[in-house]
Amino acid sequence: MNKQTAAKIVDRARQQGRSALSEYESKQVLAAYGIPVTREILVEDSGGLDAAIGEIGFPLVMKGCSADLAHKTEKNLIRVDLRSREEAARAFEEIRGQVTGAGGGVLVQEMVAGRRELVAGMTRDPQFGPCVMFGLGGIFTEILEDIAFRKAPLEKTDALAMMREIKGHRILGAVRGMEAADTDMLADLLIRVGQIGTDIDAVTEIDINPVIICDGRPKAVDALIALG
Amino acid sequence: MTKYAPDTDFERIFNPGKTAIIGASSKGIGFGSGMFFALQAIGYQGEIFLVNPKGGTLAGHKIYESIAQIPKTFDLAIIAVTAAAVPRALEACREKGAAAAEILSSGFKELGTDEGLALEAQIREIAARGIRVIGPNCFGIYCPQSGLTMLPGADLSRTTGPVAVSSQSGGMAVDFANTGKSMGLAFSKVVSFGNGADLRETELLAYFGRDTQTRVINMYIEGVADGDVFFDTLKNVARSKPVIVLKGGLSAAGSRAVLSHTASMGGSRTIWRAILKQANAVQVSDMGEMARASLAFARLPARTYKNLCVLGGGGALGVGAADAAEKHNMQIPPFDPGLAERVEELLPRPGSSGRNPVDVANPYVAPEVLEQVMCLAAEDRRIDLQVLITLFHHYKNLAAMTGKPVREVTPFAELAERVENTVQKTGKPVVVILNNPKRGTDHLDVVEMMEQARRAFAERGIPAFDDLAEALEAISHVNAYYGGKAHE
Repeated sequence: MNKQTAAKIVDRARQQGRSALSEYESKQVLAAYGIPVTREILVEDSGGLDAAIGEIGFPLVMKGCSADLAHKTEKNLIRVDLRSREEAARAFEEIRGQVTGAGGGVLVQEMVAGRRELVAGMTRDPQFGPCVMFGLGGIFTEILEDIAFRKAPLEKTDALAMMREIKGHRILGAVRGMEAADTDMLADLLIRVGQIGTDIDAVTEIDINPVIICDGRPKAVDALIALG
Repeated sequence: MTKYAPDTDFERIFNPGKTAIIGASSKGIGFGSGMFFALQAIGYQGEIFLVNPKGGTLAGHKIYESIAQIPKTFDLAIIAVTAAAVPRALEACREKGAAAAEILSSGFKELGTDEGLALEAQIREIAARGIRVIGPNCFGIYCPQSGLTMLPGADLSRTTGPVAVSSQSGGMAVDFANTGKSMGLAFSKVVSFGNGADLRETELLAYFGRDTQTRVINMYIEGVADGDVFFDTLKNVARSKPVIVLKGGLSAAGSRAVLSHTASMGGSRTIWRAILKQANAVQVSDMGEMARASLAFARLPARTYKNLCVLGGGGALGVGAADAAEKHNMQIPPFDPGLAERVEELLPRPGSSGRNPVDVANPYVAPEVLEQVMCLAAEDRRIDLQVLITLFHHYKNLAAMTGKPVREVTPFAELAERVENTVQKTGKPVVVILNNPKRGTDHLDVVEMMEQARRAFAERGIPAFDDLAEALEAISHVNAYYGGKAHE
């Protein structure tokens, strides 16, 4: 765990007067706390694209990335399952032109295989301070609101209780040929999200949505950190 | 940060040997004189000093013209003077060496005016110099052991029991004390702390956690002084005693502008629910549910109850019981045919059923037979609690036929004894439902009989509820608490 790395990213953004981190920066903060995130490279101009593709490998995902882009899907700035250099180059051009704002670029990201999408997050309650959220992810987060909260710092029993609490908890088991999610790793992820909240006051909100279960292990695929 | 005062002498606060009432007028009924009469009516045995600048007497009691004139020190002051006069009175009580003062007066922070806020700040300053304050804007303390009572609380019970209450609302505290008395619940301490300028929810919670009289803790909360300290205290106390929380003023959504889904979904209602669950506290949504949960915690042995035997009558018994049980995550497992047959042999035929739920078919089945049935049912090893739905209201018909009052023909006293025997023999608790559809003005005799029945069960330590669904809800809180402890 590297609290200094995370704090440095946050401080830099705040000095620039920003109220949020980009996806790329957000994941660097998560990674600094030992949370598994997608392999990804931020490419600012087309010159860096080939090297990034070589590093990440096909199939890959490209996303517009800047601190101003909280909701990429709605803005059509995501291309998934890109399988060739040509596809990738076209996607890069389409996205890059629309990305503005500080730290902007195109995020070249591994494509994570997994059908189970979860959400983890953190909000700062005015009375109880940082609270961690866990629930069903992707588009289901807002529609079903099948979520559980706990006040940070979390103990492992708290994290496990959150998993039992959601109505869709069976999704974490071995279902439809998928292996059971590693609840220890998932608990660890939630505990660490809470730690970011208790360590860094300037982090006011965290969304990790989705967290995808891939081969039983959780991985942060998209993330947003808000600052205050 | 909440001030932590481990040296507060709660014994002097709840069991004061000497109490001064500041603002007891010889004319008319004010808070001060009302409190004096309430203390006399309930039988407070300590010494009472009355204070009013006009002097005189009240019901033969001397009224001192100032606090300084009181010849001795005293433990507790009850202050009922106008808001502007409170700081001086409080300071005088502190100089006299009082451990605490409950301030009934209003006109402080709750007004939101500069003057009110300034007066409350003065109270806090004086309190910090060495006198604990309950209130202002509160109804005070009720402690059956000492006979200290709230206003209005002249007719509350003097029986000490395991239930403690702290409440930001005075009305809620008094209502709870009265409801509890009606249900056969006895209290250790009830505190209405109003604005909570000094002593408030978190410190009271910690004290109730230590208090040997208290086994079940209830809290009505509107806001807490310090979320972190409250949470830590709650979690700590809930490890050894059930804490039932009614949180007032919950809103679904946060009003802040937020970027993330997490923050938009984490409104105060959601976060409070999470906090209480995390601490393994019991959350209830109204005062009735709180009182019923307290009854279940006070009367049932500390464990979870998953498999019930339900005995009663009426067409919807089976379906109604099964639905209520399922809603609260409990089962009513059918007995095996051998046991069901033995149960049926005891019951009138036709119409009865010895499976589970057990339909006794006839409201006049003798208590002796019901005892035999319950003892048989308890032989099913899965059963960990029995629910007996009484059919006492039917005895109104018997009363009409025999020309006797319903309270004389209804065998509630014998049934209470039989139920107690059953519990002792089987080692499995029995919960009684005093189901009564006859409540109108033409059935006041039935209503009266039901209350006598409730007292008969309460005196034998048998929890009685009005309604099956409400009883199972109360038991589900017991299950959630002891089930939650098992996960720690």
